[in-house]
Amino acid sequence: MTTIIDGHPSEFVAVAERALGNGNASTALASLGWWQLLRDLDDDESRRALFSVFRAQGRALVNSTALAALLAVPYLDDADLELGTVAAAATRTSPRRGTVHVAVGELVGMRLLVDRPGRGASVMNADRVRLQRIDLPGRLDLHEVHLDESRWRPMIPEDTAARARRQSLALGRVAVALEMLGAAEGALELAAEHARGREQFGQPIGTFQAVQHLLAWAMTDCAAIEAAADAAVASGAALPPRFDEIVKALAGRNARRACERTLQALGAIGFTAEHSHHHFHSRVLALDSLLGTSADLTHALGRWLREEPGDPQLPTALLFPATPDELLVGKEVLKR
Amino acid sequence: MSSPTALSAEDPLIDLGAYVTGLDRWLAERPECLREVALPAPSFADRVAAMSRLMETLYAAGWSKYGWPEGVGGLGGSILHRAALWDALARHGVPGMALFEHLEVLGPTLVALGPRPFVAQALPKFLGGRERWAQAFSEPGAGSDLANVRTRAVAVDDDYVITGRKIWTSWARYARWALLLARTGTPEARHRGLTAFVLDLHDPGVEVTPIEQANGTDELAEVALDDARVPGDRIVGDVNGGWHVAMHILSHERGTYPWFRHCFLYGQLRDGLERARPEHDQALGNALLDLAATTAASRAALRAQAAGSLLGPRAAFTKLLLCEAERATSDWVLANDADLAIGVQEDDVAVHRQEYLFSRIVTIYGGSQQMQLNTIAKQVLGLP
Repeated sequence: MTTIIDGHPSEFVAVAERALGNGNASTALASLGWWQLLRDLDDDESRRALFSVFRAQGRALVNSTALAALLAVPYLDDADLELGTVAAAATRTSPRRGTVHVAVGELVGMRLLVDRPGRGASVMNADRVRLQRIDLPGRLDLHEVHLDESRWRPMIPEDTAARARRQSLALGRVAVALEMLGAAEGALELAAEHARGREQFGQPIGTFQAVQHLLAWAMTDCAAIEAAADAAVASGAALPPRFDEIVKALAGRNARRACERTLQALGAIGFTAEHSHHHFHSRVLALDSLLGTSADLTHALGRWLREEPGDPQLPTALLFPATPDELLVGKEVLKR
Repeated sequence: MSSPTALSAEDPLIDLGAYVTGLDRWLAERPECLREVALPAPSFADRVAAMSRLMETLYAAGWSKYGWPEGVGGLGGSILHRAALWDALARHGVPGMALFEHLEVLGPTLVALGPRPFVAQALPKFLGGRERWAQAFSEPGAGSDLANVRTRAVAVDDDYVITGRKIWTSWARYARWALLLARTGTPEARHRGLTAFVLDLHDPGVEVTPIEQANGTDELAEVALDDARVPGDRIVGDVNGGWHVAMHILSHERGTYPWFRHCFLYGQLRDGLERARPEHDQALGNALLDLAATTAASRAALRAQAAGSLLGPRAAFTKLLLCEAERATSDWVLANDADLAIGVQEDDVAVHRQEYLFSRIVTIYGGSQQMQLNTIAKQVLGLP
């Protein structure tokens, strides 16, 4: 049995990656004590260990129930549901079909929670919905959820669901950001290895500054996601205003950019189906489309700042999450 | 809230939350302290004068003593107190640090490695705005290749006699002291033959010539040294240990200084909201992302520093993220305010124009962007 140890986030990630690399993801989550961590979301150390699994999933291109289970947590109490038995679908916005519900990862033995903004949420057995498998690279299990409109009965009314929805989105966005980080890191490792070994003009291409700088920028893209996501995980429930959106938007933008840079360093071999790079890249693209794309969130954040100009609270809120409320007195505190 | 200087040994303001709360209230109750420094002043000399007066006020009231050790003019606490101080000043409308950046670039190294008796009398004057500091590293032949420094320091009796030429010496025109890197070993010894000295810029043998910059300010200068004398007790670190001193400084300049700088970028963003147009919302959002990345990365650097560790090569990330944030913020400001490109009639436009142009040199000072990328490629990614 693997045990999550105390320490730096990267140690958690290494432990989780080893466990997930051994094959069965459900067994890995169980061996990591992940379900117990899910019960202890308020504990700083547990939260860090719990979220590190997402980064490890991205690095190892593994599927599990983790994201869907995490998304379900805020709804459980309201519907008297048991943790670990319910998977919540994520949403994405399609320009052709509007809001689409997407079940991410392994769903065997789980009931499915679907939350429809404005219409409440419901939990259903697999036979009440049609799941359409989406085939795409990235080794990510994705199913589009097709609801039978005539049988929709909200189990959790809209006003209750709305509160849970905000928390679920905040948790999910940080988790997805970390998984995108992991996938970008996976792409970067491939490219760095290539740069060390591939020779042109009689020397490894990693000796050329043009290639070095491409990869150094890719790593800087990753360092930004890591710092922001780690800060979000450390903040826990005291997340600064809209910080989940900031982290998700930053992760989507930077992970895509990192994949583009690593592809450039790999050259044509990186653009083949045979090479693993496209799996990392596709996983990043798919994850960026869930829970708000980086493009949409970035625009929304810009509009929010313009329409509700207050003093910037971010540096203080992030450095001193426990700062007393007096700090905010007399200033326009931006609502979450 | 009254000023904190008179507090007892069991100082409640060592607690960060109490410090931030108290400072915010103190600043809110004294808008007159901040009025002068908040006025747009195209003359850099005016900005330095106003900021020096504010530093004097903050020192007299005690707020700027936190984060510095007792014995060198401080009241204890950690770098997080200083991070909170400058964040609060930015939130209360102070537009920048106007050369007191060097408190955060040079200060920690002076405290850690400087000769204690000298630092104990010099740092309070720096903190109190009465004396200012410059950093004299670069030379005409030693920019990115800092180990190529040729300015010589020769031991004569108890002093060192220094001859050579420094360039891009930041804020030398306004400073009394410079932290100077000179060669005490052979040129072949490269980085192992350098020593860091505290040079009195008012000494005979030192000639400072300001350099007018492309943005219209004169923060940089050339310093000619012709048999300038530095007493032997004004060495920072060890003889021939100057490289260690330089790396200590650069760890702050790249790792933690971005926190201090980026607080004022949030201020630029807030000021720009007056003229914000919806068509630039995407650019505004992107600037926020880059600022947030800088906040998060420099927060980690501050906390590491507060816990007693230096960042090493990973400091390069924070510096690169600051460059991105600076560029994204000023691009958005320019997109909403085409006057910056042409007009300089109004003082605020002139200052914003200076800021915009300054944002294009962030990728050059403190180690060029390309040097940061080299550091990451070789020392973090392990490329050949």
